Amino acid sequence: MADIAVSSAGQAVSKEGLNEDWLAVVIGVAVFALALFSLGGTDLLGWAVTTLVYTDITAALAPVAKGFGAVGGLGALLATYLALLVVLSAGVAALGADVKKFAAAFTVVFAIAYASWIVGSYAHIAAVTPAEYQKFGISWSLKLTNEGGFVVALASGLVIANFFPRFAEWLKEAIRPELYIKIAIVILGATVAVTAAGRLNLASAILLRGVAAIVEAYLIYWSVVYFVARKWFGFSREWSVPLASGISICGVAAAIATGGAIRARPAVPVLVSSLVVVFAVVEILILPFLAQTFLWQEPLVAGAWIGLAVKTDGAAVAGGGITESLIMAKAAAEGIKYQPGWILATTATVKVFIDIFIGIWAFILGYIWTNHIDRRADTAKASEMWERFPKFILGFVLVFATSLFLAIGTTPGIAKALPSAAGEANVFRVIFFILTFFSIGVLSDFRKLWQDGFGRLAAVYVVSLFGFVIWVGLLISWLFFGGITPPLAS
Amino acid sequence: MWVSDLKEEAHGRVVEPLLPIEKKLIGWSFGVGIVLLAILVMLNHFVPVKF
Repeated sequence: MADIAVSSAGQAVSKEGLNEDWLAVVIGVAVFALALFSLGGTDLLGWAVTTLVYTDITAALAPVAKGFGAVGGLGALLATYLALLVVLSAGVAALGADVKKFAAAFTVVFAIAYASWIVGSYAHIAAVTPAEYQKFGISWSLKLTNEGGFVVALASGLVIANFFPRFAEWLKEAIRPELYIKIAIVILGATVAVTAAGRLNLASAILLRGVAAIVEAYLIYWSVVYFVARKWFGFSREWSVPLASGISICGVAAAIATGGAIRARPAVPVLVSSLVVVFAVVEILILPFLAQTFLWQEPLVAGAWIGLAVKTDGAAVAGGGITESLIMAKAAAEGIKYQPGWILATTATVKVFIDIFIGIWAFILGYIWTNHIDRRADTAKASEMWERFPKFILGFVLVFATSLFLAIGTTPGIAKALPSAAGEANVFRVIFFILTFFSIGVLSDFRKLWQDGFGRLAAVYVVSLFGFVIWVGLLISWLFFGGITPPLAS
Repeated sequence: MWVSDLKEEAHGRVVEPLLPIEKKLIGWSFGVGIVLLAILVMLNHFVPVKF
């Protein structure tokens, strides 16, 4: 685990200063821009593949736009794969990666990840409502919706990581969960805006309540976890800072940013990141199902809770996706049909709000460390705030703001056509989610982690996460999102 | 820096007592966090979500 995570958790940066954040902005905005052409009647993304719930596998795949029906399901799958291969290969080439290795590994990653998605769309796994049972002629289903495919993709990755470590190592070049989820989050901006445009009051209320998440993650979680790591477990400052940041704020990015800020040796935050990824996997295998069982009547509490409790952007936002599908399925079975998008939007809002302040927090810690604790180190500079700012958030804001303007500031015709355009972009968001889930699984070699002897680090994580972070996160989510439910679908 | 060295570090306790500045950081962060949360809870109570 550690070996794989060490090489992938750090941000690749090209000579031109392009990193995964900027690459995610470029690709995410490009997908959104191409989708917008459909507002003018030119459908440039209608060939992208989408997967339907099925009992007959030949009916599982289809192009997202009916106008591209002639392409067929397999043709759409092939076109989607080729488009992603070309775009992502160009992207990683710009980052200075080995394109041949990436292309070969990505082909396999895409194949397994998408196959997992197709498996998850099988009616006995995905069907939810009595109407679907009747439609597919089935008497039972796991009721996971087709987003159960995320869990299948994660499980596939876990099997490869834990039973086929050489294969996992070979796939390494295309195992880029941070890149995939950042692209997905940029694209998600369109869906969130379209969702928010329908209920601006509710959307702005959710945004305002995102402030509570910042206070909780940076001021309360961090101080408690840092204290636990230092006082109870006797870790040095160099270990405790990235550990506290990884557990409290935003996993990999925060551990690396704050570790760099206090001038920790680079390997320390990277090894902490390995731990973060493994625990994030455990969380997304458990928490969404707990949320479905205990919080299905409080959907936005569940969404905020996942955003606060699950660390790493990938796992949190992806976990929000699973939670939404599970809760909507449960609610639908009870006769309540919520508008889709609100639970995931809540998780993403909470996570994005937390991400925004990583650079500032890293600067504050850097200032304290270089001026009061380790005066030999070079002094922290204000420019580090910008350097450590997660740039992909700019892409999310751009896509969100543009979509919101198109939804409420232009003609009714454009506003009416926008959900369809955002829907086509969303097809790619889902695909990047699938790639993220599979990649997180491949990075999670539990056996290797324990062999490496990081039991004491894991103990801090267990004590903090299950003894504090999850419960306080639940309490805060309840205080700020309790009683707020998504609008009902018309 | 070898990974094996880091593993040993991660295993063993380091005698590095909390400095006053660390205590201040922990105390102030936690205290300010609780106060801000209390303010936000009050705001949330007095300015509820309107549909």
